[in-house]
Amino acid sequence: MNDTNGVGARAHRLGGADRVTGHQRYVADIPMAETLHAKLVTVDCAHARILSIDTSAAERVPGVAFVMTAADLPQPMPRFGPEYQDRPVLADGEVKYHGEPVAAVAAETKDAAEEAATLVKVEYEPLPAIFTIAAALYPSAELVQDPSIRRPGPHIETNVLREYRFGWGDVEEMHADVVVEHTYTWPMQTHFAIEPHGFMAAPDGDGIAAWSSIQHPYQLQKTLAKVLGMPMSKVRVFAPDPGGAFGGKQHPKLEPLVAFMALRADRPVRLILTLEEAFQAVRRAGTEIRARMGFKSDGTLVFQDYVNHFLTGAYADTGDRITAKASFLTAGPYRTPAVRIVARSVLSHTTPTHPYRGFGIPQVTWARESCLDEGAIALGIDRLEIRLRNLVKYGEEHVPGDTPADGNWEQTVRKAAEEIRWGTPLPPGQGRGIAIGVKSGPTTGLSYSTVRFLADGSVLVFSGTSDMGQGARTIFAQIAAEELGVPLDRVAMVMGDTSVVPYDQQTSASRSSVLMGNAVLNACRDIQRKIKAMASHLHDIDESEIVVDRGVVHLPDRDLPIVDVLKAGLGRMGGELVGNGESRKQADPDHPLGGTALFFEFNCTACDVAVDPDTGETTVLRHVTVGDVGFALNPMQVTGQDEGAAVMGLGHALMEHLILDDEGRTRNLGAIDYRIPTSLDLPLELHSFIVENADGPGPYGVKGISEGSLLCTAPAVAAAVRDATGVVIRDLPLSPERVWRAMQEQP
Amino acid sequence: MQSFSYVRPTTVEEAIALLEEHGEGARLLAGGTDLVIELRNRWRKPKIVVDLKRIEELRPSIRQEDARLVITAGTVMADLAADERVRKHFPALVEAADVVGSIQIRNRATLAGNICNGSPAADTAPPLLVYGAEIVVAGKKGRRRVPVDEFIVGPGKVDLGPAELVTAIELPMPTPPIAAAYTRMTRRRGTDLASITLCCGVDANGTTRLAYGSVGPRALLVVDDTGVLADPAASDEDKAPTLARMFAAASPSPKSMRAGPEYRVAMLPVLGARALHTAIERLARSS
Amino acid sequence: MNETMHMEMTVNGRVRSLDVAVNHTLLDVLRDDIGLTGTKECCVVGECGACTVLVDGIPMNSCLMLGIEADGAEVLTVEGLAEGGHLNRMQEAFLDTGAAQCGFCIPGQLMSATALLQRNPHPTVADINEALAGNLCRCAGYQQISAAILASVQGAAP
Repeated sequence: MNDTNGVGARAHRLGGADRVTGHQRYVADIPMAETLHAKLVTVDCAHARILSIDTSAAERVPGVAFVMTAADLPQPMPRFGPEYQDRPVLADGEVKYHGEPVAAVAAETKDAAEEAATLVKVEYEPLPAIFTIAAALYPSAELVQDPSIRRPGPHIETNVLREYRFGWGDVEEMHADVVVEHTYTWPMQTHFAIEPHGFMAAPDGDGIAAWSSIQHPYQLQKTLAKVLGMPMSKVRVFAPDPGGAFGGKQHPKLEPLVAFMALRADRPVRLILTLEEAFQAVRRAGTEIRARMGFKSDGTLVFQDYVNHFLTGAYADTGDRITAKASFLTAGPYRTPAVRIVARSVLSHTTPTHPYRGFGIPQVTWARESCLDEGAIALGIDRLEIRLRNLVKYGEEHVPGDTPADGNWEQTVRKAAEEIRWGTPLPPGQGRGIAIGVKSGPTTGLSYSTVRFLADGSVLVFSGTSDMGQGARTIFAQIAAEELGVPLDRVAMVMGDTSVVPYDQQTSASRSSVLMGNAVLNACRDIQRKIKAMASHLHDIDESEIVVDRGVVHLPDRDLPIVDVLKAGLGRMGGELVGNGESRKQADPDHPLGGTALFFEFNCTACDVAVDPDTGETTVLRHVTVGDVGFALNPMQVTGQDEGAAVMGLGHALMEHLILDDEGRTRNLGAIDYRIPTSLDLPLELHSFIVENADGPGPYGVKGISEGSLLCTAPAVAAAVRDATGVVIRDLPLSPERVWRAMQEQP
Repeated sequence: MQSFSYVRPTTVEEAIALLEEHGEGARLLAGGTDLVIELRNRWRKPKIVVDLKRIEELRPSIRQEDARLVITAGTVMADLAADERVRKHFPALVEAADVVGSIQIRNRATLAGNICNGSPAADTAPPLLVYGAEIVVAGKKGRRRVPVDEFIVGPGKVDLGPAELVTAIELPMPTPPIAAAYTRMTRRRGTDLASITLCCGVDANGTTRLAYGSVGPRALLVVDDTGVLADPAASDEDKAPTLARMFAAASPSPKSMRAGPEYRVAMLPVLGARALHTAIERLARSS
Repeated sequence: MNETMHMEMTVNGRVRSLDVAVNHTLLDVLRDDIGLTGTKECCVVGECGACTVLVDGIPMNSCLMLGIEADGAEVLTVEGLAEGGHLNRMQEAFLDTGAAQCGFCIPGQLMSATALLQRNPHPTVADINEALAGNLCRCAGYQQISAAILASVQGAAP
């Protein structure tokens, strides 16, 4: 590492100064003249037939431009979605989840829009709503989606969107000394990014410009082009940094509606969701997983057998992909002769399931690690020992045919065990737990980057990745600084504009350090090749005798900084060098997931807790999280993400759940009754560690990070609670009341 | 936000006149931490909002008058928690004031507003009940003093006529002194609405005053003057039956999102015993 | 038509004289009328603290105050922290510890922290966590935030 604040440096975040001065512009902050304010109209029902919509009173409110309903949209209703194009721009004759927009007001002021929205009279007939797995799978259950909009398949007359069968070997043929079988549930939760979603659209010549807090600007561009019937070249998406996303801002939701409104108004239209509306817009899949594990008496795994039900929403959104990708890895990083996984994504009259940090892995991990602990206890084997015994080694396949273990995972586990002081005694009322999580990075991917090396040696890097707090902007600048030998403060990033920045498939699955990192690296290598040619020409030396590496041009007799060669090469006319880089993860059509894992995020979490025996309140005394990261491009940002994920994971484990009433309506919308951790809810000690073996596929051996530290938080905490109290809890969250109840029911 | 008129009278009499004129169409604004949410959610649609903060008599102040502490209606939770006299003589009220939301809320929320809002889960209600507070109410006919136990009526309901407002809350210096502690049950350690609020006070006469809320339509005050509960020498087992009887009137709602009724009923004696312990310790330390 | 009233308040040292709709919150007035969008809107029920500003030096949720209630007051927002165009000590500390991730909660955190140091110049981590309990961070950089505040205490080692 050179002294440019390049890779590995604890460099100040690019964009940090704007964040601490209030100058950072999120979607809601962007000044835009002549903007109309939009307000959604919804009905307080999880499932209803829309009989009529009377907008007359609303339209009479001074300042109202119009009220858009389904009747104002093209017929048939345009539908969109990342995998299944089943989501209508506005509810189409039927409300299918609590909060589905039925109409939208556009007005000169927020007050007028809000006032008018309360005056839109929607006549509707409430219909029974399906919002549990049991209800959805009941043989005579009403269908959430009509077969006519479903893809042909064996489950088209059911609420099973899709069924997957993964595994190897023959579970039925295996003999185990001990078999453990239990069902574990995980509730629906919501992301609660501190920035509620924001969307804006404005006509732009014969095209459209759209602003969104979106993680995937290019996916949005594609969707808008299709829905609006425009060429992609005429759809420009601006993607300001989201104020937190955690997966909840990945795919389009309300942008198509806002775009139609802007085209109708021939003016910009902006819609900023309330926090309550954000909760209704995005959620995590709730799950019921029946886990069955067979062990030899020495704790070796013989088989793992799962039935996974993911409660996805009224429209597929990403629910089905989450079911598949997470279920594929349910058996975890353990050597298991036979595995059977039957997974079903189940439709319901609830908010569509959207990606949520962990992408289903926390839910399957909850079942697996909890069941593994129950096996350890039944066998009388130490819970750390049983994991180490079954953990695959570096290079070993834990899913036959897929990417083998890409790290020394035992090192990560032992580090966690050491830091939690596994094996040392705890006083009564306290307990210790440990758990392992593994998630695959992306299975396909495509990132391009352009780097422009300017005449004065400063650099512009173009990257389509979204910086939603994880610090993407900074690490790519650090890579360019490193490779071109330029101080970090002379590198500027250009992001968030699909007309100016080349394509990046998406910001998800912790992929960006690797995929976009490699694209930026390759763009820099492209420039380095041109520098080599320049040096060859300038010094009359054959290119084969020149090496350009990390900011330095190595000639046979001396070294020169790249910047010097650049300036000499460009000469009096100036100019610049442009480098392009591409990074691709190829699809594999024969693979059940469409591609193998690019890398794995592997984490071991361990904690000590104290449980109040009278109230059930759990205090996390010490929390340790260790991740196998390959290389920390920016250690400060890695710590921020790891600690942040750990705290979010504790929220999921201890306090977060969406509460529905008897009719499927969400009761705890908003910040008062959906509890997330505050500064007072931190563990008494929280420590994050990383293992760096430079064994990842990204630049300098990097792997992806940001999801690892919440993959196995829940089972680690529940294991500690069990260790402290003897109670086994298989349903989350571990609120004081639930822990108390479990203690009461214990014989 | 819905539309309304806004006015800021400078005397109590002006405010009362406005209330008389507008009746149900007027809402009083002090700290706004409840009202602004109400207005935004359109739970009520007042024509006029009457801001009390320019009324000199109601400006935040805590003063001692004879043997009582007079807390004006404009006094906020942060003021209460910082006042030496409140901390010394009414520590359970400080403990409650300290958990009414975050510091930002406590810098705005008034004690008077917390009581007048009438939430069964109001943190300050149990300490005010234990300490025997009196609410000073101003109306057209003059001022009246209402014991807090009579002032609190039910959910969202207090003994305030349509053209009346609270001007102060008075805390009589108890004789003999009451040593009290406040505790609550929440879903997380961070700021939260309580699923149980509880205050327990003991005095040298052996009287135990126990007030608890969020387990029924209003916070309740129950008194034990058998001396059993306040007895530092008696064991928890000896006290348990008496303590259990103190909670006989609890009727938590089965529909609450925050905690189920069975849990709340079970936690009452647990929290009650803990607050009782602390109160007894405080009494012992003070003598 | 919304009733309006004239008010004057000092915002970040500058006197602002304006007609505000009485039903607009201080948050609305700061963001929409004055154009200071550094203060953020999130929960609007006084739980998240993203809208925290100092009113006469005291931290408050601007989403729960009507703008008109700040008539005659001195208001400090995040835009008023920098000194002569330079980041102040606390802002620098937030960058040094990586406390600002997505950044959306940061203005509120900075305002609460500024008020804390004014009333308690040498807080412990426990003091900080208590004072900032009303500022939610979902990126959950709580530990980096408290480290930054400790580092910005006068006399702290750099």
